[in-house]
Amino acid sequence: MIEPHFPILTCLILLPLLGCVPFWFMKTSRAIRWWAFVLSLAEMMPGLYLLRFEMGTADFQFVESVPWVTDWGLQYLLGVDGISLFMVALTLLIFPFCVICSWTSIKGRVKEFHVSLFILVSALIGVFSALDLVLFYLFWEAVLIPTYLLIALWGGNGRDQAALKFILYTLAGSALLLVAIIAFRVEGGSYAIPTLMSRSFSFRFQQWMFVIMALAFAVKVPLFPFHSWMPGAYGEAPVAGSIILSAVMAKMGAYGFLRLGLPLTPDAAQYFAPLLIAMSICSILYGGLLAFAQSDLKKIIAYSSLGHMGFVVLGIFLFNLNGVQGALIQMFNHGITTGSLFAVAGFLYSRSGSHNLSRTLGLGKFVPVFMGFWGFFVFAGFAFPGTNNFVGEFLILAGAFERNLWIGALAVPGALLAAAYMLRPTQKMAWGEPATATGWRDMIPREWVSLVPMALLVLYLGLAPTLFLKVINPSLKHMIGALESRGAMTLMVDKNILRTSNNRVPFDGNAGGGGHP
Amino acid sequence: MKTLLLLLILFPLGGAAINGVLGRHLPRRVVEIIACTALLCSLSMAATAIIKIGGESFNFVLFEWFRAGDLSVSMSIHFDALAAIMALMVTFVASIIHLYSVAFMRDDPDFVRYFCYLNLFTFSMLVIALADSLIFVYLGWEGVGFCSYALIGFWYGDPVKATAGKKAFIMTRLGDIGFGVAVALLFTWFGTFSITHINPQAATLSAGSATLLTLLILFAAMGKSAQLPLTTWLPDAMAGPTPVSALIHAATMVTAGVYLLMRLFPVIQQSPQGMLVIACVGAVTAFYASLAALAQRDIKRVLAYSTMSQVGYMILAVGAGDIVGGMFHLLSHAFFKALLFLGAGCVIQALSDEHDIFKMGNLHKYLPGVFWLMLVGALCLSAFPTLGGYFSKDRILLSTFIHPGASYKLFWALGMSAAFLTALYTFRMFFIAFPNRPDGRRSSEVKPIPRFMTLILIPLALFALADGLLNLPFGMGKRWLGHFLASVPGAVVDMNATTGMFLGMAILSASLSLLGIILAWFLYGRPKTVKEPNPHPVLSSAFYLDAAYRLLVVRPYQWAATLLWKKIDEKQLDQNLESFGVSFNAASVVMRLWTTGRLSTYLKAFLVGLVGFLALFVGRVTLW
Repeated sequence: MIEPHFPILTCLILLPLLGCVPFWFMKTSRAIRWWAFVLSLAEMMPGLYLLRFEMGTADFQFVESVPWVTDWGLQYLLGVDGISLFMVALTLLIFPFCVICSWTSIKGRVKEFHVSLFILVSALIGVFSALDLVLFYLFWEAVLIPTYLLIALWGGNGRDQAALKFILYTLAGSALLLVAIIAFRVEGGSYAIPTLMSRSFSFRFQQWMFVIMALAFAVKVPLFPFHSWMPGAYGEAPVAGSIILSAVMAKMGAYGFLRLGLPLTPDAAQYFAPLLIAMSICSILYGGLLAFAQSDLKKIIAYSSLGHMGFVVLGIFLFNLNGVQGALIQMFNHGITTGSLFAVAGFLYSRSGSHNLSRTLGLGKFVPVFMGFWGFFVFAGFAFPGTNNFVGEFLILAGAFERNLWIGALAVPGALLAAAYMLRPTQKMAWGEPATATGWRDMIPREWVSLVPMALLVLYLGLAPTLFLKVINPSLKHMIGALESRGAMTLMVDKNILRTSNNRVPFDGNAGGGGHP
Repeated sequence: MKTLLLLLILFPLGGAAINGVLGRHLPRRVVEIIACTALLCSLSMAATAIIKIGGESFNFVLFEWFRAGDLSVSMSIHFDALAAIMALMVTFVASIIHLYSVAFMRDDPDFVRYFCYLNLFTFSMLVIALADSLIFVYLGWEGVGFCSYALIGFWYGDPVKATAGKKAFIMTRLGDIGFGVAVALLFTWFGTFSITHINPQAATLSAGSATLLTLLILFAAMGKSAQLPLTTWLPDAMAGPTPVSALIHAATMVTAGVYLLMRLFPVIQQSPQGMLVIACVGAVTAFYASLAALAQRDIKRVLAYSTMSQVGYMILAVGAGDIVGGMFHLLSHAFFKALLFLGAGCVIQALSDEHDIFKMGNLHKYLPGVFWLMLVGALCLSAFPTLGGYFSKDRILLSTFIHPGASYKLFWALGMSAAFLTALYTFRMFFIAFPNRPDGRRSSEVKPIPRFMTLILIPLALFALADGLLNLPFGMGKRWLGHFLASVPGAVVDMNATTGMFLGMAILSASLSLLGIILAWFLYGRPKTVKEPNPHPVLSSAFYLDAAYRLLVVRPYQWAATLLWKKIDEKQLDQNLESFGVSFNAASVVMRLWTTGRLSTYLKAFLVGLVGFLALFVGRVTLW
């Protein structure tokens, strides 16, 4: 299975960590910023190696396997397939973007800021490439610490509370994840995800495991009603923090569903699908409504993100190819569009000193190009045809209608809400009487450099997403195929289980952990 | 052939792209030449296409947009008689309006943005006209929506105008929900997005699903074509520059909804109930809007309501199963309405941005060219016998009348009354604004406008006058349009009516139109001072529909959003979480009482615990 090859994933994880070392010898914040920028670009160079990814297979590629703690069966096991490849790519893409966006907005503790950012990126790549459950958990929790620091040290006025809420909420959500991992080891005999994927577990066990994992993932996404950490964290974080939280970290939850939830506990996933679909539809509609009521630009984007991620999770739990493909492409797209929106909001903040809409009125006259970019990403945000989000949302909705007319009919208004809540701030910002008339600068070169690639990606993925779909297709097809072949089986088993569980209710849950030698 | 159609679509896009990227660095004249040349080239392509291909249908795929499993979306073209006529009309009217805009926008510093959007609009409209894949149609559909949004709010310095743009976009997007669901259902049932594949299979639809689809498509059309109840954005859309109102909000975009219904007519045909609803929406809107137009003072709002009403006729035609009649009226309406709007644009500019018809007058004296052009437009709009709008409206009314079903007689009556009202409100506007009257404008109050602005309207006026020749019910070239459209699925060339009916209907609608004009003459026509009337509140506010929306939809929506945010999100979800944290805190306070640090406390606690444990143990053993 494993041929000797360049350990690209390890390299990607280690490079940002090693890149932190020279910081200690740097004095000026200018040098630090430039080094961070160069390194973030350098990080993309080995990323190009990932282009050797072989299309048309569902296998894990670039696999690295080193025994770690052999007594406990721990392995250092990395690898990517079509699902995780794009998450790694997204992280690599967002990395330089974050560095540029915090060029002027971070004023104090520049060194520490970039160290946190580097560690965060390293951990994120780890999450998306780990194939060993313990390793996965390690990276998963490692993400929290730098994020906490980003919010707590460089955030806005309400940063302390927001950071505390963020870390406690997400820690509480993922606390039980470790239990699930150990249970998988006991039941399935391994920590390795590929091995576990070939096992089949009892329905009861799956139910417990799924609930535990879903809790962790739903908090991370976040899904309604587990979202209340989000407005604070997104709103108070520094620009780079908001970008990375919404663009990459929100995807950890969705990725968790795709990597662990569906393959390891397929029957339970199907059993709980209606609940998750309901939650995601609630997210779409609820997020859309709430975004309309906000007057803080970042909170508008935050709640819109709730709605968009609702679409993603909806797509995942439709269990058909269209839905899941749409979800995955939407994960990537949402990263690009929401990241860009947060970036523009940050640029605006550097001009107006406020995120409040009433301070940024009527800018169309003064910064036309700037507002043009904002408008572009706004239209991409509500899935205008020809932009990237259209492809994703369209596939998800097609999948929704394929599964059930009512699911589709309930999700479609989300598209209208998006237009309403995104055009409202655009209207105020671009048009009407300006609040302050002086001191506006249009786009500066640094902003051009950061936004143009994003805009090009929006158009490329909107008009020619075929390459993307080709890469993700085999892995997802494999996953859906596995789910469907089980679906036929479980239909029978399902009824049996329900009957037996009706007969003997108590204490069966314990057997899930211990029994079945 | 492929190249021809491809160029037809791509010329305006190319124009928009060049101007969008380079326009800021080009001289004004070059930008204008690029924009207009793109349109004229496109027009010549459309004309060549209709000559070379004629009414035959012709399909091809431009390229595959994306493929995901069994779902394939491609940018594909379906050229048939309907598309040919539509494309020719769109490019013709758009070309005239581009040329007119050169003069109209001569003092506006933002001409690059203007021409860029205008070209982009034409591109999107051509996509709607020609696309085969419904997803590709949707691209055009949203594209025209975006351009409309951007152009209504073109003078964004004024918040009212900017808000009108947003309102139009969101309201039409409400209709798009219907489009989206309909497309999804069509795909679920037929496995394809292609109109050419869906239409032949339409007969396999069950009655219920056909009705559902029809209603959804109708809902989409209601948004785009400003039919009841989604009407209120159109009068506000008049905030845009007048050529934009002419192109987007009169001649082309608002007819996109009707066009979509015609494109998918085989599906709609499967559902008599659905067609009944369509006819009802059309007839009621035609009547409603012509009533509202009676009380408007803004010349552009009069024309906006008349557009709504005329599009209502087209919808009625589809509901009565007569797409030839609908298309006929769509064509003649495009010509005379563009003419009227552009004429109104001349007036508005000459009078320094005056929209109120009561503050006009004496225009016969000072703007004679515009006077005659507007007279032609007004006569066509009121369906003056033998002029353009007459034959098409007559045909729609006749096909409604002979359609089986008692309710169609009612729709016919509504249509007839609307025809009378149309003549009345059109000539109310005309007689108040144009003829000489003592309190009218003085020559010093009329600014000269470029001659070109009136000259360019002459072709439009000729087309508007002679449009009836396209589908004369008698004589040479009888029903040319009908025969041309015969290959379109569902088209009926000859109506199943007796000669007596033909004549009766012709005479009746002719006399109604004349009656309206005469009544308008008596009310407003005699040269005298026109005193400004108190506008009838119910009519001028269009039956308070806007206020109703604000009261029933907008307010509750804002209220619900704020309520959810403040009361549910912050009070409930967040507060509960907060209190969870607080209770932890409280628990730790209680716990702290134990940790005194004194050994005696710990020993006491240990003793209590031990005793409890032993008691439990003993008790359990005894009980067992």
